[in-house]
Amino acid sequence: MSASILVAQNLSKVVPSAEGELTILHGLDLELEKGDSLAIIGSSGSGKSTLLGLLAGLDQPSEGNVVLAGHALATLSEDERARVRAEHVGFVFQSFQLLDSLTALENVMLPMELEGHKNARNRAEALLKRVSLDHRLTHYPRQLSGGEQQRVAIARAFAADPKVLFADEPTGNLDTATGARISDLLFELNTELGTTLVLVTHDERLAQRCNRLIRLESGRLVTLES
Amino acid sequence: MTRIPFSRLWHLASRQLMREVRAGELRVLFFALVIAVASSCAIGYFTARLNEAMVLRATEFLGGDLALRGTSAAHQKQIEAGLAQGLKHAQTVEFSSVIAGEQAIQLSSIKAVGESYPLRGQLKSTLSSQGSETVGGLPVPGEAWVEARLLPALDLKVGDTIDVGRKTLRITRILTYEPDRAGDFYSLTPRVLMNIADLPATEVIQPGSRVRYRDLWSGGADQLERYRASLEGSLDVNQRIEDPRDGNRQLGSALDRAQRYLGLASLAAVLLAGVAVAMSANRFAIKRFDASALLRCLGLSRREALILYSLQLAMLGLVASAIGVLLGWLAQFLLFHLMAGLLPATIPSGGLFPAFAGMGTGLVALAGFALPPLAALGRVPPLRVLRSDLLPVPPRSWVVYGTALLALGLIMWRLSLDLKLTLALLGGGLIATIVLGGLMLLGLKGLRSMLASAPLAWRLGLGQLLRHPLAAAGQALAFGLILLAMALIALLRGEILDRWQEQLPPDSPNYFALNILPAERDAFAAQINQLSPNAKPLYPIVQGRLVLINDEPASDVVESESRGDRATRRDLSLTWSDMLPSGNVITAGQWWDATSAHDLPGVSVEAELAKSLKVGIGDHLSFNIAGRVIEAQVSSLRTVDWNNFQPNFFMIFQPGTFTDVPVTYLTSFYIPPGNDRAMVELARHFPAATLLPIDAILEQLRSILGQVTIAVEFVLLFVLAAGMTVLFAGLQSTLDERIRQGALLRALGSERQLLIRTRRVEFALLGATSGLLAALGCEIITALLYRLVFDMPWQPHPWLLLLPLIGAAMIAAAGLIGTRRALTVSPLRILREG
Repeated sequence: MSASILVAQNLSKVVPSAEGELTILHGLDLELEKGDSLAIIGSSGSGKSTLLGLLAGLDQPSEGNVVLAGHALATLSEDERARVRAEHVGFVFQSFQLLDSLTALENVMLPMELEGHKNARNRAEALLKRVSLDHRLTHYPRQLSGGEQQRVAIARAFAADPKVLFADEPTGNLDTATGARISDLLFELNTELGTTLVLVTHDERLAQRCNRLIRLESGRLVTLES
Repeated sequence: MTRIPFSRLWHLASRQLMREVRAGELRVLFFALVIAVASSCAIGYFTARLNEAMVLRATEFLGGDLALRGTSAAHQKQIEAGLAQGLKHAQTVEFSSVIAGEQAIQLSSIKAVGESYPLRGQLKSTLSSQGSETVGGLPVPGEAWVEARLLPALDLKVGDTIDVGRKTLRITRILTYEPDRAGDFYSLTPRVLMNIADLPATEVIQPGSRVRYRDLWSGGADQLERYRASLEGSLDVNQRIEDPRDGNRQLGSALDRAQRYLGLASLAAVLLAGVAVAMSANRFAIKRFDASALLRCLGLSRREALILYSLQLAMLGLVASAIGVLLGWLAQFLLFHLMAGLLPATIPSGGLFPAFAGMGTGLVALAGFALPPLAALGRVPPLRVLRSDLLPVPPRSWVVYGTALLALGLIMWRLSLDLKLTLALLGGGLIATIVLGGLMLLGLKGLRSMLASAPLAWRLGLGQLLRHPLAAAGQALAFGLILLAMALIALLRGEILDRWQEQLPPDSPNYFALNILPAERDAFAAQINQLSPNAKPLYPIVQGRLVLINDEPASDVVESESRGDRATRRDLSLTWSDMLPSGNVITAGQWWDATSAHDLPGVSVEAELAKSLKVGIGDHLSFNIAGRVIEAQVSSLRTVDWNNFQPNFFMIFQPGTFTDVPVTYLTSFYIPPGNDRAMVELARHFPAATLLPIDAILEQLRSILGQVTIAVEFVLLFVLAAGMTVLFAGLQSTLDERIRQGALLRALGSERQLLIRTRRVEFALLGATSGLLAALGCEIITALLYRLVFDMPWQPHPWLLLLPLIGAAMIAAAGLIGTRRALTVSPLRILREG
């Protein structure tokens, strides 16, 4: 097995539209090794989120294949891909995506509970302490500020010890100062835990913190920087 | 197999559910289920308990294993045949008679019983109204046991005496239970039980009196069967054999209608609650699309996501059903209480079945209405976490409507136990919903063009209604029907008897006198004429049964269950007269005069009955009168005004038709109020005559009608509550949109007052439309009922115009409460959340 944790080969996505077929991604190749951090940038509609969805196994490519942690996603069913996600993947979203019905602590415990971790609570408490929210354990998402919600989401993303962390515009809904704190946290944790990070962003400064960067235009890769 | 252990899903499901319950998210779904279960459980218990009461009493029902019943006493040889089989025998004789107290008279139902009565079951009685019940025994000669309600009516107490005809009896006990009266369930007149040995001394029973004789028999099945076989050949036309099965059937059909009505009312509640369940389950699912996508993203499989949410709904369903069962169980006690007096006093518990069936109703409703939206939750693509515009493929509409209809059908079938009725209701309901809903839709759209230049609040409010026209039409329809049912019941209860009485001339007869003996006829007439200047003539009465129509058995000619069929299965009161009674109009043929002479005597038949008997002018009718067959030819058909409280007859014969048959006389007269003393005198003077006070009977009818309508209104409360859940479910499903719209308007600078006015307009319009629908429906139905059923002149009811106002006020209030969050949430927050 190679050291590559995430490989995309000739990845294409075509969707039907009113004007006929619309190609969102054109034969994209990509290879990430453990500990890498990759920023995907591009204007709206360039195909960034589509690429993220394909890499994370949330969607199926029209052509090509993604190998995530040794699993060729194209050969797996939706439920098998869900299992791969549960074991190897963490997510941070622009809109936080916390479950309103669970407290901060419960939200962080959730992926570990689903996996049947014995000491989910202790680890969740430790993670929330790490993101400086140990005083907000029993608060519900509605009672937290945007920055606090995103910190809970980051704690949750790292909870199940993922190999790859996908972040979709993690600072997109936050003001500059809060956004900066969140991105610091994200990179610190990424380094501490040795996770591979795939980040979609508009924010050039955030993108520059990654060791690799790709720029998409109309579904084509125009720049690949290392 | 799921990858995640069930216990973990259960844990997660229950925690999420608890949180959502606390946040009030599931309130509507919960209440809709509680109402569906409570109403079907209440009616289920009511029905089951009544049925059990009937089964329990099946053998006691007759007071024996077999009864020979007739309007004349059984022949000696019929009795000897039974005794020869070694059967036990008891005799009862029942008739109505007036019991006179010091100041008042009371029509009572007298029953004289022999020593071995009853053969099955036992009498129960007490010494005072609060005393403890004693089982067994029966009044010895000289004694009477009376029902408690007779005592206050005549200002009597145990130990006092009453006169039954010419015999004075001492009241020794209060009768509390009579096994063979279970079937009557309710009787207008109080019972007086006496010993058969005292009967001749009363002199009440004279040839021609209306009396019911019953010979009760008990013994081994074989002997009973042999006796039954021997009797069947020798029955007179006025005799009938009854066994417990017959009694039960008879009782069953009477109760059947009541139960069916209540079943239908509860069905309406379940139906509306089902709609509310469907609406709120849909919202439940939509609100969870994001969470479901996230969980899928975190690694939950489609199946696991589905199980997670199904578990939540199942838990909610079980808790709501349990509470519904409890409420339903309590509600049926209230129902029995409201109908106390109309139903037997002691009723079995009903067991656990209705509770389980009620729960089943709730769970089937939940499954039928909530599963399709729930299934969509399992199909939410995980990619939705990145693209919130992605929605699950909606279930095919035939699946959604199919499951809902199937669930409804199952519930309806269980509640009505009638497949044809269920299918008819489902089909009719669907068509009515489509037609009325379409009309409402057109009406609402018409309003839009009318209101094009109306103030902003009106346009916004109407716009909100028209954004969801189907939901608006559905809600207006649901509320319209509820208001209609309630208004109709209120109107009929209050009005029918009043209107009926109002349209009678003030001096309409208020007493009927029957069983007047020929020897007392002139004296009676003289006394009545002193009391009442315009007393009606005394008509002779002969009891007889129509046996042949044109020499064919009457039962072969008439259609079963028709009016004619019923008329051929009982003795009719026949009379003769040379004058056409007032209020009668000849519609065919001619009234006889002195010169009319044919081979056969003429008979004038009431027109409606003639139609049902399929007879016309010139047809031959044969009657059995006290064992003799008398033939007559139809010479005229008449319409009769049945509401004028005069003696009215189906059959009037030409004078001279009957000779040597037992005759009594019948009349009606008006006695001004305050003449109770005179009536007491009259009753004492003519003990065999039966005086029927019409006012008192109407009063009793009114009170029974009152009781029944209260019970019906009580069941309708469930329907109203279910309708409310539909309204709230509808409000909830549009709440997010309203919150956004409200925030936007406020951000654009509108005041809260405008938002409140907009809501008020929207819901008041919805309510007013429902009210209008209800008022119109109510007028149409009453007009039809009055014309076709009650034969009374119809007048519009202006107060029904209050219904749109009531509907507007009710729904505007509920609507404002249901959407108050849309007024209080900060506009900034909403706009930020996008």
